[in-house]
Parts: sequence; C-alpha cells; structure tokens
Amino acid sequence: MDNESNKRDLSNEESRVLTSVLDEIIPPSTDRRLPGAGQLGLAGYVVEALQKAPELIVMVAQGLSDLDNQARSRNASGFAALAREDKLRLLNEWGFLLPLTLHTYTGYYQHARVIEALGLEARPPHPEGYHMEPNDLSLLDPVRRRAKLYREC
Amino acid sequence: MNILCLEQGDWMKPESYPGMRMDWELSQLGDFALSPNARGRREDYPVNDSASPIQASMFNAVGGSTIMYAAHFPRFHPSDFQVKTLDGVADDWPVDYQRLAPFYDVNAHMMGVSGLAGDPMYPPKTVPLPPVALGKLGETLAKGFNRLGWHWWPSDSAITTQEHEGRAPCINAGTCLLGCAQGAKASTDITYWPAALRQGVRLKTRCRVREITVAANGMADGVIYYDADGVERRQQAHVVVVACNGIGTPRLLLNSRSTLFPDGLANRSGLVGRNLMFHPYAMVTGIFDEPLEGYKGPTGCCIMSQEFYETDVARGFVRGYSFEIVRSFGPVSTAMRGMQWGRIPWGADHHRAFAELFDRTAGMVVICEDLPEHSNRVTLDPDLKDSDGIPAPKVTYRLSENSSKMLEHCVARATEVLEAAGAKETVAEAPLPFAGWHLMGTARMGTDPTTSVVNEWGRCHDVRNLFIIDGSIFVTAAAVNPTNTIQALALYIADTMKKNLATLFD
Repeated sequence: MDNESNKRDLSNEESRVLTSVLDEIIPPSTDRRLPGAGQLGLAGYVVEALQKAPELIVMVAQGLSDLDNQARSRNASGFAALAREDKLRLLNEWGFLLPLTLHTYTGYYQHARVIEALGLEARPPHPEGYHMEPNDLSLLDPVRRRAKLYREC
Repeated sequence: MNILCLEQGDWMKPESYPGMRMDWELSQLGDFALSPNARGRREDYPVNDSASPIQASMFNAVGGSTIMYAAHFPRFHPSDFQVKTLDGVADDWPVDYQRLAPFYDVNAHMMGVSGLAGDPMYPPKTVPLPPVALGKLGETLAKGFNRLGWHWWPSDSAITTQEHEGRAPCINAGTCLLGCAQGAKASTDITYWPAALRQGVRLKTRCRVREITVAANGMADGVIYYDADGVERRQQAHVVVVACNGIGTPRLLLNSRSTLFPDGLANRSGLVGRNLMFHPYAMVTGIFDEPLEGYKGPTGCCIMSQEFYETDVARGFVRGYSFEIVRSFGPVSTAMRGMQWGRIPWGADHHRAFAELFDRTAGMVVICEDLPEHSNRVTLDPDLKDSDGIPAPKVTYRLSENSSKMLEHCVARATEVLEAAGAKETVAEAPLPFAGWHLMGTARMGTDPTTSVVNEWGRCHDVRNLFIIDGSIFVTAAAVNPTNTIQALALYIADTMKKNLATLFD
C-alpha cells in the first residue's frame, strides 16, 4: 500500500547511478535533438513511479547500490564514470532493467521537450483537438458500383 | 408511473477526463484501464476471468461502459437475426431487423450517429450526421481495400460531427476510450439520462443491488441493495428491469436465490449465465514508411469492411467478421507497444526503432462472430467477492474451433489489405486477451421457456414482472459492436411494455 511512511527515497549516490542508468536506457539521440532520459531529469519521475510498489523501490535502490559497487571494482569513481561498453555489460546482467525501462519510456514520451522534438504540440489533446482535412468520398466509387451485398431474409 | 434507477457507479465529470492532461495516455493503465481488476475503483467489482483467454471489460458509472467505449455503432444485418435458418448453426432470434428498424432510427437521433447512407452491406437506413474524418490514415487504408476490390465504408459512429441537440462536434482528439471531454462521443449520461430525468425518472447513484427478491406468488417484489454509505436497503417494486449486461445480469440473477428459485432467479431453464459470447478479436497493425497522422481522429471509428461478413463454407468456418480500422498511438502508447512487441529496445538503437514506429502504424481490429456454446458461462465465484461481500462473477470460456479458424483467416486477410495499402511489415495479435468488452448471450431471448430466459420482448419466462434489456438477451452475436442493437432492443422492449401495460403480466 502506498503511504508516506512506506516511501523510500534514494540517497544522493543512488540517484546519481540512476541518472546514469537512465541515460543508457534512452541515450541522447545522435543528432542531439532528443536528450537522454537522465539528462531530461526523469530520475524523480521514475522513483515516484517505483514508490507505488514499496517493495520494488527498496529492491531497485539496493540494486543500484550493487551496480555501483560492481562498477567500483573497475573504476573507483563508480558506475557513472565507467566507459560505455562497461556500463552496458553490467546493465545487461542487472535484474532491474524491466521496471526501470517501462517507467523511463512512459516518463520520457510525455515530457514536453520530447513531444515538441517529435513535431507535436506539447499540450493535452483537449480542449483544442486536431484539425483534419475533409473526406475524399470519391474513394468510395468502386464500392458504390457493387451490387447489394447484404443477404435478404 | 414512478421509475427509480439504482446505479452502482456515479456521475462522471467530463472536465476531469484524462484527455485534458499531459499524462493522458497513462490513464489506460490506471483509472481507465480496460479491466475492472486493473482499475479497482470503488464502483468496480472483481471478475474471475482466469478460466478465459479473453478478459472481461466493463465500466460502472452513470453511462456505464459507454463512458469508455469507442462508439463504433453499426447495426446488425437482417441475416444476423436468422443464423439458424440461413446457416444451420446457433438459433434464430424471435425478433428481426424489420421489427427493430424504427428503434435503430430513434436511437440514431438520440445518440447522434454519424456515417454515410448508401452502404451496400445494409438495407437503406438513415444516418443523421456526416461521417467522421477519415484522415490520411483512413484514406491510405481505403486505397488498400480498393486495390483488392473489397468492401469498405465510413463507420457508423455515435460521435457527433456537427452540433447536434446541444452537443458540440468532435475535435479529433483521439482520447475516446478515456471519456470524451468534448461531449461529442455519445455516452448515455449525456444523451438518454438528461431526457429521462426531465421526464421524472429518479436515479440513485452508488447503490449496488445485491439481489432481486420474489414474493410467494413468484413475482419479483423489489431489490436489496447497498446505498452510498454501504447500508443495506430494500426497495419495493411492481416491475423490475435489469440492465447489468452480459456478466452483471447473470451474476445478479444467480445471486437472487430463493425457495422458489434455488438455482437463481428466472433460471428454471438452467440458461442464466450460459452461452456467454464475447467477440474474439484480432488486431493487425501495419508499419508504413510515411507519417499517417494516426494520433488524430476518433480512436476506434474510421472505416469498416465487411467483405468477409457472411458465411462461405469454402473458408472452413461459418459466419464471418468485420474489419474496423483503428487510429494509431500517441508517443507513450507507441513506446509501450513497441516494448511489448520487442521492437523498441533500450540503448543505442532506441531512437531509430521508435522513429520507425511512431506515427507510422495503421491497423485494424477484426470482430469475429462468436457462436453460442453452452459451456461458455458466467457463474458465481465461490471465494472472490466485491467490496460489499457480493460474490464476484466467474467467467469460463474457451475459443471454439470455428473461432480459431476464423481468426486465422481474418489475420491473413488483414495482412493482405495492409500490404495492399503500402505496409512494409505487419504485426498480428489474435485473440486479443484484453478485448472482452462485448458481453452477450447469458439470458437469451426466445419463445420456448426451456431454451431461453426471456421472451421476444424481454420479459422473463419464469417471472412475469422481471425484464432484461441488455446484451445478455442476445441469441447470437453478429460480427459487429453490440451497443446500437442493445439500445434498439431496450427501446423496443420499453415501447412494447408501454403498449401492453394493461396486460403486462399476462
């Protein structure tokens, strides 16, 4: 059950690792038009989403610590400082990517900056809606030329 | 006449529908999830559908499931009422298209149906409003149908495309399944209910009926319900009318046991809960090279094809199906679908993969006619209960061989037309597990009390002052969305009751 007393926040270190992980889940686009998910500041969104399942946030937080500790065996500065290929190798072995990926995707693709980069207006669908062109009903001409198609009863 | 309606849900507030928010797409996972088991709102009751490949979907509120339906609004065909006579399967209805036609017309006006007259797949019919916008997506697929020489037509939709009876026209927001803040999509809270309230009908919301009670003479004499505060109440009645649809109605009747009806109210035939029909759905999505603006326009209403609607035994199955073109997805839904399909990975290839799908998909759902099977049924779950302690419904359902063959055929044909329209690749899902939103057959209509639950005007054979006016009275399912026919039947039954008031219980 989600209540304030059960909420588990991440430490500063865990947040740093999470931000770095998010930038691997959705990295910046090669043309730099789209930011990485970590750069976009989605760590807070992802943590809030994970907190809805208190057991999960605890497990993910522990997982981030474990990830960082494993990284420190290769680089004393931890996961964020690893080379890309090393990060990917560790992430591919890590068990918590699925819930993080889902929440990263949902947070990323409702962010105004991303929506605008996709060529859409960063607004809800209502109340303006969208303009659509009038129908070209001449496309129906082949169907109109057919005989009655329903069965008489 | 004093009429009181007990509704277990409440009035919805259109101004708070998700389409007004930036995070609107996520509501599909929460308050507007298709399954009541996923939503868990106070108004919802759980459904045990673990013994079914198709999960049940319904919504409790003033307006019911019309709050979140797509408003696709085709009529049945004349042949849909005579499946036994024409194709030797299932049963014929005790009413026909001609009997219901005037009520379809009334309903078209009340709901504000848009579409186009002249469809060769139907007898001539009136359509009050012009069709919804097809858009680039719709016209692209229409050209695919034309290349194959197949039938297609703009969908009949319960969506106003012009101002109608004080309702504003559709603004193509694409949020239909999450409630329509514009009021263009017809839900019964904004169409029939205002008229009913003006006529003096009383409505009590957040009142959940537990059982219908009977007197010693075998007539229904009222209901027991839990009010908005959870207090048990009794409401007496001279006539009881049930509209809880294909899962809620048998649940209520089965829970209304008495010494006169030990197997559930109005169930001497043993058929309450039996012959549950969903429509097995397939969904086939095409991936195109060009943007299709599929996020614009009514979500589930665009064009429909019934090229394979009627029986052709050469196909290896009987009856048939409808293609219904559906719009595409917003950014969040594209990402989630792509993740589900394994096509949008995390990492270096993410942006390329996303760009390949976003605004470049178009597809269709396929509605397959489901034949009634005695073993497909709704019973009361022995353990699961709702928040008022009322036994939950249990759904037991299996896909028939006829349905399985039909699904195989329709996926192949859908792929064919998507390729003809220019799709470079297709993704098919069949049956759709979350598509149990058409609930029919579980208190079927008929003239023989041993093989039906209600008569030809909705009156229970066993209880002459108990009427059922929802999808549970369907004899067969057709291969179209049922709401228009449910409403036409309800109007017809009400009209018949009104004309026979003096002899209503004879």
